[in-house]
Amino acid sequence: MKLPVAAAAVLALAAAPAFAQGVGKAPPPAPYKKVSELVKLPDFIPGIGTLYVDPKTLPAGPFLAYDRDGKLVSTVYMVPMKDLDGKKKFDDLAAPGGAVDHVDFYYNAGHPGVEEPHYHVVLWHVSRADEAKVAK
Amino acid sequence: MISSRRGVLGAGAALLAGLAAPRVFASAAAPVVIRMTAGMRGEHVAFDPLGIAVEPGAVVRWVCEGETHTSTAYKNRIPKDAVPWDSGYLLPGKTFEVRLEIPGVYDYFCRPHHAAGMVGRIVVGAVSAEPDYPDSGVPAIARRTFPSVAEILKRGRV
Repeated sequence: MKLPVAAAAVLALAAAPAFAQGVGKAPPPAPYKKVSELVKLPDFIPGIGTLYVDPKTLPAGPFLAYDRDGKLVSTVYMVPMKDLDGKKKFDDLAAPGGAVDHVDFYYNAGHPGVEEPHYHVVLWHVSRADEAKVAK
Repeated sequence: MISSRRGVLGAGAALLAGLAAPRVFASAAAPVVIRMTAGMRGEHVAFDPLGIAVEPGAVVRWVCEGETHTSTAYKNRIPKDAVPWDSGYLLPGKTFEVRLEIPGVYDYFCRPHHAAGMVGRIVVGAVSAEPDYPDSGVPAIARRTFPSVAEILKRGRV
């Protein structure tokens, strides 16, 4: 029952207008900050890209992910497992990235900034083929 | 003396009694390598090997192969007189070393993955019994992950 709820929320977000807040190119405007300057993470994370986040929105985000050319490729939400287990709801999460091509959900055991098991909910703004731009 | 590239552990001489069962120790001649692994998307994180037996004086080297990890010793799950270590965050390709000279059982964890159960155990020298370490502050999944001292000593690495 957990993921379908999250999926419904994500699908609702998918209709947002393109780059509603001028975030299409890195760096996005304040209050977004580069995650690698907030916590010990690589500047570029293979499979994700270069992340920016408004620290006030942690841990859920949104995190904005950019390819090596500074183009926005995805919007990522990080939802702790304990919040899923606790049936916590997340209303009105920002979705500034524009049109969504497809969505990934996957488990992550934790990392600096979100040091607990959680799910990544990834709204890809590029095609599956273009995911390769952040693969390495 | 127990030393590290990024920190220093305390000295001491708490010799413990002899063992039953066969013992298999990693060689002290070269660093004993413990890999810090992760799946492509940050799942399935682990120390590899999970548990290892080494001789007193062995140098243990952690190698980060993916994601961001730490090697962080529990303050209350290491031998008396030993000083806990903390590697700090290690990015892929980075390493951290300690020299372990005080015999006993050393339990450690990865800070960003502690809640996911990423822990490890090193048995240094002759240890005669399972440790009676407190469980407070150790997530249930991590408590279930520690291999027994008997298994580590029997197999050398788990």
